[in-house]
Amino acid sequence: MTELSAQVLTKRFGGVHAVEDLSFTAPAGKITGFLGPNGAGKTTTLKMLLGLVEPSSGEALVGGRHYRELPQPRRVLGAVLETTGVHPGRRAGDHLRILAGAAGLAPGRVGEVLEQVGLKDAVRRRIGGFSMGMRQRLGLAAALLGDPEVLVLDEPANGLDPEGMAWLRKLLRGLAAEGRTVLVSSHVLSEVAQTVDDVIIINKGRLRYSGPLAGLAAGPVVARTSRPQELAGLLAGRSFRVEISGDSALNIFGATAEEVGEAAAAAGIPLSGLAGAGASLERAFLKLTSSDVESTAATGPAAAGMGAYHE
Amino acid sequence: MNKLIGNEFLKLRTVRSGWMLLAAAQVMVIAGISGAVARVPTAQLSGVAVKGLGHIGLISLFTLVLGIVAVAGEYRHRTIIDTFLSEPRRGRVIAAKTAVYFVAGLGFGILSAATAIITTTIWLAARGGSFDLGSTEIWRTVLGGIAWNAMFGAIGVGVGALIRNLTGAIVAALAWIALLEGIAGQLLGGAGRWLPYRSGAALANTPSMDGAGGGLSQWQGGLVLAAYAVLFIVLAVSVTILRDVT
Ligand SMILES: Nc1ncnc2c1ncn2[C@@H]1O[C@H](COP(=O)(O)OP(=O)(O)OP(=O)(O)O)[C@@H](O)[C@H]1O
Ligand SMILES: [Mg+2]
Repeated sequence: MTELSAQVLTKRFGGVHAVEDLSFTAPAGKITGFLGPNGAGKTTTLKMLLGLVEPSSGEALVGGRHYRELPQPRRVLGAVLETTGVHPGRRAGDHLRILAGAAGLAPGRVGEVLEQVGLKDAVRRRIGGFSMGMRQRLGLAAALLGDPEVLVLDEPANGLDPEGMAWLRKLLRGLAAEGRTVLVSSHVLSEVAQTVDDVIIINKGRLRYSGPLAGLAAGPVVARTSRPQELAGLLAGRSFRVEISGDSALNIFGATAEEVGEAAAAAGIPLSGLAGAGASLERAFLKLTSSDVESTAATGPAAAGMGAYHE
Repeated sequence: MNKLIGNEFLKLRTVRSGWMLLAAAQVMVIAGISGAVARVPTAQLSGVAVKGLGHIGLISLFTLVLGIVAVAGEYRHRTIIDTFLSEPRRGRVIAAKTAVYFVAGLGFGILSAATAIITTTIWLAARGGSFDLGSTEIWRTVLGGIAWNAMFGAIGVGVGALIRNLTGAIVAALAWIALLEGIAGQLLGGAGRWLPYRSGAALANTPSMDGAGGGLSQWQGGLVLAAYAVLFIVLAVSVTILRDVT
């Protein structure tokens, strides 16, 4: 089990504080979203994890080790950075053959990963003619070559159509279910909200929140039912915090609308209304990452044990 | 290391720029030799072979660019990220590229030598002259020219790693050869013969572009050029290890 971690990680470029005292862990078996607005320091952090950028202080570790110390890095970690490039004049198959060769992997992997990302027919084509989505898939194929335990993807949703997103989501789900560590960055919460288990939110290089996505919601999921007591008991039993308001409404903290709906359905409790925390998730995210963060930080009522907001 | 070297050859083979440079180099050899031999008065035909074969060494301009593209081109296309993810020990990557582009330069030199010898033979035959392949002067020019190509391939890798901007690196290298070394040579006077392009010209037994004679002997030129190559590569490795890849 290989986790990714940052320990009081700091990077300054001259006078620019790109990353400041950042600490987090992305555990194995989960998809962790790494979120923050443009310029928040996401790419810089990922590059420190990958040994491409030297931290000014602190540690960026892969399974407790520096990337540079990994004997066969491609077998441990696969990455697609926003800025990972391909030579446009090279054929897709050759590009992957080079990467496989550099990593000491069997050339047979090239066909396998191209199949996995749905680019089997493009093996002889020059990459210059690829669409944005095809390039994303090719990047993913490259990251998967070494069958790595950890996958790091910087803004993988860029250039993917909804169908591509759904495909990516399924792929990442499958990889996490196999016990792999998946870290996915984005500057839009809604892009990854359906995909991730946990989120790490940064702004101006500093940690704003880390913990389960559901714990981020500033507001509760609101459910209406004719059997409020019964539903409240059921949800409390799943360790969500529940308030009964009026004689038919429930405010549920720390859960997603899907979780509430499924729990009610499973117990045969009819719902007459269900309002998700989706909008409030987005609002919480915007609040954490707005420019006057100092004044708005740590105001969200995180449900007990759900996650942690940071000054 | 073998894995890295094999991989660098694969990179070189799978893009067209290397092949295009190689083809352009052959065109330049043929055109250059034709220019040298076509209009020389019949009385001077005997000395023209060595002059024509001097073009082999001038192809080092192409191997220099080839070496630069090997590194700066990777920064340009940002394939350098994948390269360093596969081999985080960056010094080894530079070392492998140096070896590969030395050999590629050798290959350029050998092919250009073959082209040059054939072109010279044909022209001399057409003009009723002769070509003595047994002359040591001829072979010193041919072999020296090939060695210059190899050295400049390696030096190009160093230049490309030090100046990571592809256009900047190529412009700097060409400006040095076309202009700056001439100026530096004048400023330095006699010491100017130790400059890189002049050392190469001495190694290849050809006059340098501005015709500055009285330079180094052939073996001195070779040693000086090798020293430059080592210097560039040592600098390139240390700088590449220290600098962030952003
Ligand atoms: N090489 C560099 N030199 C100087 N400043 C840099 C460098 N790289 C990044 N920065 C600065 O560091 C900060 C963080 O940049 P980074 O690319 O990590 O942000 P990001 O979260 O990935 O943003 P985006 O969503 O736009 O990709 C920015 O202010 C950026 O200008
Ligand atoms: Mg970024």
